[in-house]
Amino acid sequence: MKLNAKDVTSGVILILFAAVALWLNQDHALGSARRMGPGYMPMLVFWVLMGLGIIVLGTAFFSGPDPLEKWTGIDSASLALGIVAGYGTFLAAPHISSFFETSYGSLGLGMLVGFLVICWSKRWRLIGYICASLCIFCLLLEKGGLMLALTATIFIACLAEPEHRQRPLGVVGVTIFLLALCWWVFIKQLDIRVAVWPQF
Amino acid sequence: MDIISNLAFGFGVALSFQNVLFALIGALIGTAIGVLPGIGPVATISLLLPITFGQPATTAIIMLAGIYYGAQYGGSTTAILLNLPGEISSVVTTLEGYKMARNGRAGAALATSALGSFFAGSVATIFVAGSGPLLTQVALSFGPADYFSLMLLGLIISAVLAQGSVVKAIAMVALGVALGLVGTDVQTGQQRFTFGIPELSDGISFVALAMGMFGIAEIILNLERPESRSVLKTKVGSLWLTKEEWKRATPSVLRGTALGSVLGILPGGGAALSSFGSYMLERKVSKGRHLFGSGAIEGVAGPEAANNAAAQTSFIPLLTLGIPSNAVMALMVGALIIQGIQPGPRMVEAQPDLFWGLIASMWIGNVMLLVINLPMIGMWVKLLQVPYKFLYPAILVFCAIGAYSVNNNVFDVYSTAMFAVIGYLFNKLRLEPAPLLIGFVLGPMMEEHLRRAMLLSRGDPMIFVQRPISATMLAIGAVALAAMLLPNLRKGKDAALAG
Repeated sequence: MKLNAKDVTSGVILILFAAVALWLNQDHALGSARRMGPGYMPMLVFWVLMGLGIIVLGTAFFSGPDPLEKWTGIDSASLALGIVAGYGTFLAAPHISSFFETSYGSLGLGMLVGFLVICWSKRWRLIGYICASLCIFCLLLEKGGLMLALTATIFIACLAEPEHRQRPLGVVGVTIFLLALCWWVFIKQLDIRVAVWPQF
Repeated sequence: MDIISNLAFGFGVALSFQNVLFALIGALIGTAIGVLPGIGPVATISLLLPITFGQPATTAIIMLAGIYYGAQYGGSTTAILLNLPGEISSVVTTLEGYKMARNGRAGAALATSALGSFFAGSVATIFVAGSGPLLTQVALSFGPADYFSLMLLGLIISAVLAQGSVVKAIAMVALGVALGLVGTDVQTGQQRFTFGIPELSDGISFVALAMGMFGIAEIILNLERPESRSVLKTKVGSLWLTKEEWKRATPSVLRGTALGSVLGILPGGGAALSSFGSYMLERKVSKGRHLFGSGAIEGVAGPEAANNAAAQTSFIPLLTLGIPSNAVMALMVGALIIQGIQPGPRMVEAQPDLFWGLIASMWIGNVMLLVINLPMIGMWVKLLQVPYKFLYPAILVFCAIGAYSVNNNVFDVYSTAMFAVIGYLFNKLRLEPAPLLIGFVLGPMMEEHLRRAMLLSRGDPMIFVQRPISATMLAIGAVALAAMLLPNLRKGKDAALAG
């Protein structure tokens, strides 16, 4: 019998999610059906979710083979390494500089390192660079200002597309165009409250 | 006539300088993203949501609505000229539209699609104006139990009509409801699943969820696929239809408009479903059915009318019941709630300028789109030459700044990145994110109504089957679920949605 690997994975994720959530929900008073406490609706939803997860797992036997993409050793290794490096950085960041103690700096640095490490494997390169570019944006925005943050974001985002690496001049053009556009839309028109230039 | 004075009032609102300007901006953006493959209305609206916060609610919704129906116009351009669907809803337009272009009738196909869309849009506007207040009257008699069942029905049908496995879609709905639970419990003030993070006490950020799962995850998925943007080889040619073409297209437009208007109201319905439905219908009943496959004008006229009609009538459940019927409408709910407006039957009375202004603006928007699309077609064709590698950094920075500017908090941007990872994973596992978004929006409202209903019934769950309205809703939901167990129907649905 050929299992549908995608359905198996989906089912397992749903069941695990529901189980953890039900366990967390123990903190909330259930109340009665008449006067529902904060934990009542979550309890209903998570049990339904668990049931659906089991059904999805069950349908995996009938929905035909649908294998997951094969991961190479590098794919798995870089993912594991990325998680470890990201979590380690997250813990260590506040000791490196007080800069990371405010506005989720250590979370941001941890995610940035994690996402960059997984770029080691070709499979994760796109998602790694794209998400890392969002993280660098947050890290630089408040102290470095919008222009610096955007430049770094666009630069990292462009690493995701191999064609950009062969023609770096295009990246410069995109950067200048987007800096001008974002300045016009967000600063000039919408006037969002954010520093434009680096703060010293 | 009430409706005429109401519409006149609506036009008064919609014709203010600001509202006309933003209807135009919406229509332009909508056409642009419709023309460009790889970016759809859900992603665009979610990334523009933060920009709308500073505007009055009416203006914001007018612009966002313009994006949705504008995308239906733009999507057909790419489909006809390049055989590439700009939007999911124009997948079927590629079948006959591109053949017409190959036969040298590209201009006629474009004109049919724009004129058909315009006609359908005008009819749908009147349809919304006429049926909206009626449905509102009905909705005002709903009790909490009825509401709960109605929302449950909406969730079930949107799952049943979603692409792929029904069970997985329902699981995604439930997961969306579960994510909607995060935050402060409204009645007791207790923090639920916030892990001590203050930003989560208002719940998971709607903008971060939508942007991450649709905007950013889509960028990654688009980059994974090698870009296959063929160069424009076909000439647009004359935009005029021959007499023969008029004769063949007119009945198809009428049928498409009717079908689209009805399918648009269905929960889970909307533009994509309607254009597939209309294509199937035309292939069976139209006079030119033997010409299908070689560039039949009916195959362009019907689906294009249907998707535009549906894009507009899908606002009906939102405006009258406060229930989103698809992912775009879920985003509209988000936009309204952030503006401090609770969508529901009271909106017509409490926010008449929003209700009637939006309806009137739909017609104005359709007039603009006709002008934007027909004489200016050359400009949009040029837009197609912008490669995706230059487009995605723009989408990305707009997402980043937009997510940040909602609360001026970087936490939302980090959440966006995490939801992008989740959205990517879900796509690989063939889990649809659209039902999740609808569940996320409806979840908190369902909890409210469930609690109230149970309080009224003193804890007796039988209230849901004793009240006739509620019982009917639940029965329809059960039938819809049971129907999906029948293999024939399921195959029909898969065929209709797979295009």
